[in-house]
Amino acid sequence: MKDFEPNIIGFLCNWCSYAGADLAGTSRIQYPPNLKAIRVMCSGRVNPIFVVNALQQGADGVLIGGCHPGDCHYERGNYLARRRFAVLKKLLEYTGIDPRRVRMTWVSAAEGKKFAEVVTEVTEDIRKLGPMQHFKRENKW
Amino acid sequence: MVDEKQLRDAVKKTVSRDDVKYVVGYKNGTYGFQVTPAFVFSSEDADKFIFSPLCVNNLAVYPMLEEKLPLRKGEEEDTRKIGLVVKGCDSRAIVQIIQEKGLKREDVILIGIPCTGIIDPKKINAKFPHQTKTVDVKEDGEKFVIKVNGTTHKIPKEELIFEKCKHCENPNPVIYDILVGKEVKTSKKEDYKDIETLEKKPLKEKWNYWEKQFEKCIRCYACRDACPMCYCKECMVDQLSPQWIRRSVNLSENTAWNLMRAFHLAGRCIGCGECERACPMDIPLTKLNKKIEKDIKEMFDYTPGMDAEEKPLLAMFKPDDPEEFIL
Amino acid sequence: MDRLILPKNKMSEFINGIKAKYQVFAPVENEGIILFKQIKNPSEINLKFSNSKVPPKGLLFKQTETLFKFTPGTKGKIDPADTPDEKTVIFGIRPCDAKSLAILDHIFKGDYEDPYYLTKRENTVLVGLSCTQPDVNCFCTSFDDSPASAEHVDILLTDIGDKYYIDVKSDKGKQLTKTVDKLLKPATENDGKKKKEVEKKAADIITRSTKTDGIVDKLDKIFDNPFWKNIAIKCLGCGTCTYLCPTCHCFDIQDETTMTKGARIRVWDTCMNPEYTLQASGYNPRPERMNRVRNRVYHKYNYYPKNYDIIACVGCGRCIDNCPVNIDIIDVVTAAGEVKE
Repeated sequence: MKDFEPNIIGFLCNWCSYAGADLAGTSRIQYPPNLKAIRVMCSGRVNPIFVVNALQQGADGVLIGGCHPGDCHYERGNYLARRRFAVLKKLLEYTGIDPRRVRMTWVSAAEGKKFAEVVTEVTEDIRKLGPMQHFKRENKW
Repeated sequence: MVDEKQLRDAVKKTVSRDDVKYVVGYKNGTYGFQVTPAFVFSSEDADKFIFSPLCVNNLAVYPMLEEKLPLRKGEEEDTRKIGLVVKGCDSRAIVQIIQEKGLKREDVILIGIPCTGIIDPKKINAKFPHQTKTVDVKEDGEKFVIKVNGTTHKIPKEELIFEKCKHCENPNPVIYDILVGKEVKTSKKEDYKDIETLEKKPLKEKWNYWEKQFEKCIRCYACRDACPMCYCKECMVDQLSPQWIRRSVNLSENTAWNLMRAFHLAGRCIGCGECERACPMDIPLTKLNKKIEKDIKEMFDYTPGMDAEEKPLLAMFKPDDPEEFIL
Repeated sequence: MDRLILPKNKMSEFINGIKAKYQVFAPVENEGIILFKQIKNPSEINLKFSNSKVPPKGLLFKQTETLFKFTPGTKGKIDPADTPDEKTVIFGIRPCDAKSLAILDHIFKGDYEDPYYLTKRENTVLVGLSCTQPDVNCFCTSFDDSPASAEHVDILLTDIGDKYYIDVKSDKGKQLTKTVDKLLKPATENDGKKKKEVEKKAADIITRSTKTDGIVDKLDKIFDNPFWKNIAIKCLGCGTCTYLCPTCHCFDIQDETTMTKGARIRVWDTCMNPEYTLQASGYNPRPERMNRVRNRVYHKYNYYPKNYDIIACVGCGRCIDNCPVNIDIIDVVTAAGEVKE
């Protein structure tokens, strides 16, 4: 049986989580390669439609990485993102999409190790959940 | 029962003002139980206004539907106000739009009507189908008195009113300039029972339920156009670069549309139910929107459309917002 | 042509018989609304309805139609879309919806022959079902039509009690009856009389009507009349009327792509949206709802009759049933006829 390799999209904020991911790389920390990083300037930039679109295009999971509360480079983007994703997760769960597919994390630029741990944990969780089938685009015309 | 003469006097007073363009209210429709929005530009026409338990439309969509065309040379913008007849739920839509700075409080004159429950057109048409002549419906205590084909029927209100009216916590308009009649007392409470029933089901069953509903969607966007809160100049589905939601009609795109519209109404939907009424395919949209309404009440203690001075839900934050889901 | 009888208790066999040679689309109840869907079993069919929610034009003029597929790049190529040509039967189509297909034929068989619609149209047999319970907003009689008209179908079934009276109108219809020959008997004069009674009874149920004589010329005269502003001011621009109308045929063409492949698709569009006529410069020739509502009425009752000699409205009443603000085409056309110029 072929092992299922989850496809996870990560929206990482430029100032903290992306830098943290970068640090994980330069420190040569080993972690699963399943996360595909997309750099955004702030986690507050992440529109829930990005998450839904990612799930449509075949992502098995989505991770949003932001700065710790109080540390946002733009003062409050991460707070707004926190509110948004609290609402989105509950909405997704209500329509039957496992809320463990959409995760959020605070990772600062100095937390390379934490980033690797988060990615490992999220990858394993989604591996157990299996591929995302529900509303994937078929692209069969 | 609303005193129609009092209503018409209020309308006459409003429309005769120099700074009012027109007043929107209700008048009898073209057949059966239909009621249609009526626009009066002068006080002579005000006598066609009615108010009955059949007045289902949410007239709060109209101020934002006004087209602002490019002005001709020398032409000045028409900044006159619009008068609106609003029930309890409708007034909350206006408050929410003012909160978001979509409208200024001075742009609208509100003629408020304390509402005692509105009849669901689907229910009454199922009970008395095929009515071509306009039917009169009056209230008598806890019953509706309906004269159909020469026979008078007395039907308990609970059998005919919308589900939303059975749990309405705001039958009186929350803002108004003129109130027609006295405020009604209510002890009804929103209990979200149907939401909780669906919440308790396992994930797979929830998806099966919503999959069947989203498959029905024909992407006519009637829900969006009937909604007073959907007034974006360019809707997300009309964006082409980038195109988030494709125009093809299949389960994937329909799910994305319905989820994202529900999300865009988070903290803004006031539960008027126009979306569900306008949907030609009978998709239970209020079940989606009410779920978010319940969540934001629990998580952030926020009720949309109550206070025009409050900050919109997703435009603000509290340092102690729930974050147990964050790694 | 032929006049036959099918006993009601043989209906399942009839369906199974034609299902052997054709794919059958019939009215099916789906969560409380009637839609035309492909059936696997005659028991799925629900004939207790006045009309389907969405007209069966969607079976020929699909809501999402692939025009062609392509792969990008210098070595890319274009693959024409499959044009399915299976023999199809639309069972239970009402005379008004069948007329709407005849109206749509003018568009799709005009200067450019649309292969996507026409292949399906040529391979589809229409088995009509006369109305016995017209709905409150049906007004086909305003166009000199009848709820039991066999003019635009290949076969018409009329319920005359314990049997169906069958009118075979075309060669396609005759071919179809050959597959279920042994279930059908010739009709008697009495049966013919019963059919006429059913037809009259149904026509009498229809009470709402409008005058369509002279509407084309009248509309020519009142184009700039402020009457249209009063009609359109309550329109929400929701487009429900256009999506449920059996003669509406506006569409949009879009490309859908992934990184490695794509297709050009045609989807239904609605002239009630401002974006429909929005030009790249930002200019919109139909900026207000007044322009769009007026355009819709004129398209159906003025432009189309001028081009093709037929009013592009069949009187099915779906737009009236579903308009959230009660914009009533019967009312609009009657009032337009009476406007003081």
